[in-house]
Amino acid sequence: MNKRKHLTSLITAGLVALALLVAACATPTPQVIEKEVVVEKEVPVTIEVEKVVTAIPLPPAPVTISFWHIYSEAEMKMLEDTLIPQFEAAHPNVTVESVQIPYQEFRRKLLTSIAGGSAPDLIRSDIIWVPEYGAMGALVALDVLMPDFQEYADAVFPGPLETNFANGHYWGLPLDTNNLVMVYNKAMFAAAGISGPPKTIEEFLAACEKIKTLGEGKYCYAKGDTSAWSMNPWIWRFGGDITDPGYTTATGYLNGPQTKAAYEFLKNLIDQGYMHPGILGGGVDEWGGFGNDEIAMIFEGPWFPTIFGAGEYGLALSPAGPGGPASVVGGEDIVMFEQSRHKEEAAEFIRFMLSEDSQVAMASVGQMPVLKTLADPGSPIDLDFYGIFLEQAKTARARTPHPNFTKIEEIYSLAGLSYFLGEKSFDEAFNPAVEKINALLAP
Amino acid sequence: MNISLRKQRILYAFIFILPGLLLYLMFVIYPILKAFQMSFYEWSIMPGKPNEWVGIGNYIRAFNDPVVRISLRNTFMYTLVTVTGQLILALIAALLMNYIIRGRTFFRTIYYLPVITSWVVVSLLFKYLFQSPKGVLNHILVNVLHLIAEPIPWLRYPSTAFIPIDALGIWKGIGWGMVIFLAALQTIPNELYEAAAIDGANAWQRLIKITLPLIRPTIVFLLVVLMIGGFNVFISVVLITDGGPLQRTEVILSYMYHQAFDFLDFGYGAAISFFLAAIIITLSFLQIRFLRRPAETS
Repeated sequence: MNKRKHLTSLITAGLVALALLVAACATPTPQVIEKEVVVEKEVPVTIEVEKVVTAIPLPPAPVTISFWHIYSEAEMKMLEDTLIPQFEAAHPNVTVESVQIPYQEFRRKLLTSIAGGSAPDLIRSDIIWVPEYGAMGALVALDVLMPDFQEYADAVFPGPLETNFANGHYWGLPLDTNNLVMVYNKAMFAAAGISGPPKTIEEFLAACEKIKTLGEGKYCYAKGDTSAWSMNPWIWRFGGDITDPGYTTATGYLNGPQTKAAYEFLKNLIDQGYMHPGILGGGVDEWGGFGNDEIAMIFEGPWFPTIFGAGEYGLALSPAGPGGPASVVGGEDIVMFEQSRHKEEAAEFIRFMLSEDSQVAMASVGQMPVLKTLADPGSPIDLDFYGIFLEQAKTARARTPHPNFTKIEEIYSLAGLSYFLGEKSFDEAFNPAVEKINALLAP
Repeated sequence: MNISLRKQRILYAFIFILPGLLLYLMFVIYPILKAFQMSFYEWSIMPGKPNEWVGIGNYIRAFNDPVVRISLRNTFMYTLVTVTGQLILALIAALLMNYIIRGRTFFRTIYYLPVITSWVVVSLLFKYLFQSPKGVLNHILVNVLHLIAEPIPWLRYPSTAFIPIDALGIWKGIGWGMVIFLAALQTIPNELYEAAAIDGANAWQRLIKITLPLIRPTIVFLLVVLMIGGFNVFISVVLITDGGPLQRTEVILSYMYHQAFDFLDFGYGAAISFFLAAIIITLSFLQIRFLRRPAETS
């Protein structure tokens, strides 16, 4: 340690001395000023040189664009081993640097890099972050940059496209979409004598009562937190919502009677011991519990079969309540950063990722495509696999697309937890939450 | 070049100090000053975007924020519990280690191992041990020892959520305190103990009358350093509870981190961090001022 310190000090001291020496040598001599006349005579020569330069076709300078994402291992393999080499073959001067970052780290890492002026060229962003980054001024408005933007906008599903819109511009294009369907454990259903997946929330509750009879440590349902991703589907199934359709107020929506019914339903599941207690703190390993026949039902997206692998489980539409069999829209958009120094090349990569070939390739590893044409009969993607998700997509909805979403979500996530823990009544928890959220929704 | 020897030596010293000084200014002093500046603004993380001056608004907000109060209380409690625990257990370990001759290196290594393990790895391990209802500790308490009938949901309530966090802090710190204590114990001349033994002092009296007074400077040093470490608790809290449930287990640094990096409130986060800095500086000053004897401060 000490030796290294000494060495560093010596080297740095040497460098400092060298810098001083260079500075001393560079002292200008006053005589140079008188020779300016000679320089003037050289002007015609410069013109000649210019002509020569324009005659030689310059090869495009090599460019590296960085692309940050949260792809799973199988998806990343497809991206790095198949798609990027194809793109690089078609654009020999461009190298794409693929960087995988875990979801929990992604936001913090990205914000640090933006603040430091070294944002990546492109990211595959959670749809819920795009309005915030767009409003912050971090992103390039793709509808301004790309002359052919409208072609792409017309080719993709309108729902996922809307997640890119904020402050009058489109800040990205959808890359993949998803939603959650019910995954049920066939062995536990058989043991409890449940004939099939519950189609309504009444049947869901009845299934929970039967699962409870299987004994200690068996749960019908599990969710590790009270985030928007976890709570919104239930709120919508009961006919409630977070805000009005124009995202201007939460009054009468987040604290409305339908939303209250949804939270009461879930609190009952927790209090009865139907639902895994991890939601109250400490979290829960949903997939582990599902695999060990401890959790009978979870809600998962199209990534589940590819990552979880084979097993005795079935996929079904979410149970329907007064608000229908609602689910939540997830997915990712591809967005470009204002700090990118290679915007044209980055736009080329966006076009490439939205091509039919790329979308089909990513679909083969569990990424639900966004091109309308790929949902048609005769499409090259596996419609048997995506059928249930395409069906659920009809009733899947987006979380509040607002630049303040992260703060809004934190507020009702905390309110929900204090209600579930029994520390506050629903009204005590949610009326103050609504006031705070209204302040954040105000323009 | 007619430079006196004295001047030459000063020049050399300066050249050798310069690199370290530059690094210190760049990576320690500059960020501190920058954060201090940020704490007076509604700071925008976009380079080149205007920042809104809010004066001491962020400090007033921190003063009135109930979660800051909870975080402060948690940070104080953590420091109190872990510093006391580490001091006592490290002293006991060092005393035992001082008596044994055979296997001393072995035990010293064993006790020191937790110190060099990664905070991230052991935090995740402790979270795993304290899982509910199917964590290892619950399994041992319920199914092996039959001490309790129902598994304890450790991470659900602040009162129990701090048990793994405190336990980790103490367990990880004992080895370091022990090494420092051991070094101090070995400087005490044996004659003092021999004289005390002749006077008929028992082991307890020897500890109270000889050992503790003589290692007093070490105790003060450890107290100050461990206290600063305690106030800086962060990784274990973020990884074991992440401040939850309901922000009840937030400590000052985790709350600051959430404000800055989750909600992009960098000005507010900076103000919270200066809150903590002011407390640490005051307490450290008071400790050194009142716990050290005049002869030791020089």
